[in-house]
Amino acid sequence: MILIQCQGLSKNYGSKKALNNINLTLEAGAPIALVGPNGAGKTTLFSLLCGYLTPSAGTITLLGEAPNSPKLLGQIAALPQDAALDPNLTIISQLTLFGRLQGMDSKQAAQEAMRVLSLVDLADVAQQKPPSLSHGMSKRVAIAQALIGSPKLVLLDEPTAGLDPANAKKVRELVKALSTTTTFMISSHNLDELEKLCDQVLYLDKGELSQSVSMRANTDSDYLTLTMQHCDSDKLLQEVAKLSGVINVSAKQSNSFVIQLANDEDKTTEQSATDNYQFEMKLLSLFNHHHWQYKMLMKGRTLEETLFS
Amino acid sequence: MTHNPPNTFNNMFIIAVFELRKFFFNTRGIIALIAFALVWGVLLIYPIQGASAMLMQPNIKDLIDGLFGVNTLNVLFEWPVAEMAVFWCFALYLFPMFSILIAADQFSSDKTRGTLRFFSIRTSRDSLLFGRFLGQILIQGLLILLTIIATIALALYRDSQLFLQAISSGALVGLNLLIVILPFTALMTLLSLYARTARQAMVLATILWTLVSLAILLLSHQSSLLAELQWLLPGAQLSNMINTNGLNSLAFAHIPLLQTVAALLLGRVYIQRSQL
Repeated sequence: MILIQCQGLSKNYGSKKALNNINLTLEAGAPIALVGPNGAGKTTLFSLLCGYLTPSAGTITLLGEAPNSPKLLGQIAALPQDAALDPNLTIISQLTLFGRLQGMDSKQAAQEAMRVLSLVDLADVAQQKPPSLSHGMSKRVAIAQALIGSPKLVLLDEPTAGLDPANAKKVRELVKALSTTTTFMISSHNLDELEKLCDQVLYLDKGELSQSVSMRANTDSDYLTLTMQHCDSDKLLQEVAKLSGVINVSAKQSNSFVIQLANDEDKTTEQSATDNYQFEMKLLSLFNHHHWQYKMLMKGRTLEETLFS
Repeated sequence: MTHNPPNTFNNMFIIAVFELRKFFFNTRGIIALIAFALVWGVLLIYPIQGASAMLMQPNIKDLIDGLFGVNTLNVLFEWPVAEMAVFWCFALYLFPMFSILIAADQFSSDKTRGTLRFFSIRTSRDSLLFGRFLGQILIQGLLILLTIIATIALALYRDSQLFLQAISSGALVGLNLLIVILPFTALMTLLSLYARTARQAMVLATILWTLVSLAILLLSHQSSLLAELQWLLPGAQLSNMINTNGLNSLAFAHIPLLQTVAALLLGRVYIQRSQL
């Protein structure tokens, strides 16, 4: 099912082009990441998808409908950046109202409000007003409101920004657990986080969609990423380069190395897997021989390496 | 979870009732309510009770005719319940002013804070606009009702025989006041969509009334046709309404009703086009 389709999408703020000719088609399924530097147009793209802004040119369809279509109400939800709940009303009263606006009766809406607050471990603050919450708690409440009514698509703009590591982990686990029924589109600067969560990564830069990377394809590719505990870097580069099947090996930051392996397209998947295992065995023997301790051996390259190398 | 898909009309009423609850069950609303009760308490106990006793004196009509002219406030003496006549004079001007005050923050704070984004993804902008307008009318309608009940109680305290006359007179006054506040509230709906704060919306309202009144005054010197532009401004009919009573006051109802429709239509165009 096509979830999001943008064709020739552009957004201008005066003479500044925030988004320029974006074309993309996204399917429902695993979480989708949206990355890019500050000012790249991520929040503008989210705002256009949510219907907060109207495009200067091009078209958007979500589940086959234009943003702001009555058919989409309650089907999509969002954690908008810099949006806050009414400070004068209790959290439960506001979340219950949102549930009611999504078509639930009073009782259902109140239960749903408590359910989503429980998902973010904040059921105990239901009767409090937003100013009494910390920044991180406010963010989690804002995430909770996006989960009301189990929408088909949830757009999360910087969901873990400002959260402590424990709560950021909880949010990631929540997204992972709910992604069987809901497709999440997440904007974040935390590439490690997106790598763990998402299958598809869109890279926006200067208002243009410069890359679309599939993390699954990345793990299937002919790269190995190696992080060593301690070793002689120069010696390791020399020794690994000598191994058969290695096209290139390069040192990255803090004892990390990326090994590119030869890709024989004529080989079957099974043969390639066997070759890869044999190579990994040789690599481990090498470590053993030199008494080198490795920290991590990963198939493919990190998201950071894929996007910026 | 099974539930009905969102519906514009249902959501409009849900938002309206929520606005009412928000006003009455929230600290700021309760403070506004206490201020309102104090102002009206003082008005009811002193000017209204005192002036109604004065209105019943035979020589006071000659005095008012002498001060304001023969046909300026003569209808005040024809009201069956004197308290309601004096209440009418105060309420006709105070409720529109109160309307500007309490309806100034229909959208401004929520828009600045980004709260409207939580709404617009769940409900149509139409239900948001009309729901909040309706909510403000419900709040003011309830306040009008409370003050009318207090005025009726005051009249009955003086003379319990006035019960039926006070009720019928109170109902017509209430209906007229409700119609009078409609365009003020609708204009504040429009201004609060544009303004970033409630205070800014009130400043805009003051500037608008002052500038438009001045412009109309200047234009009316140019031609009598241009003088008719005065009917564009909410409250233009108030000076004519003060010297009416009962059903006769409803003769002016079309003016605020048309102004309300125009302001809400402009508000609708604005909210549909605005970037939240």
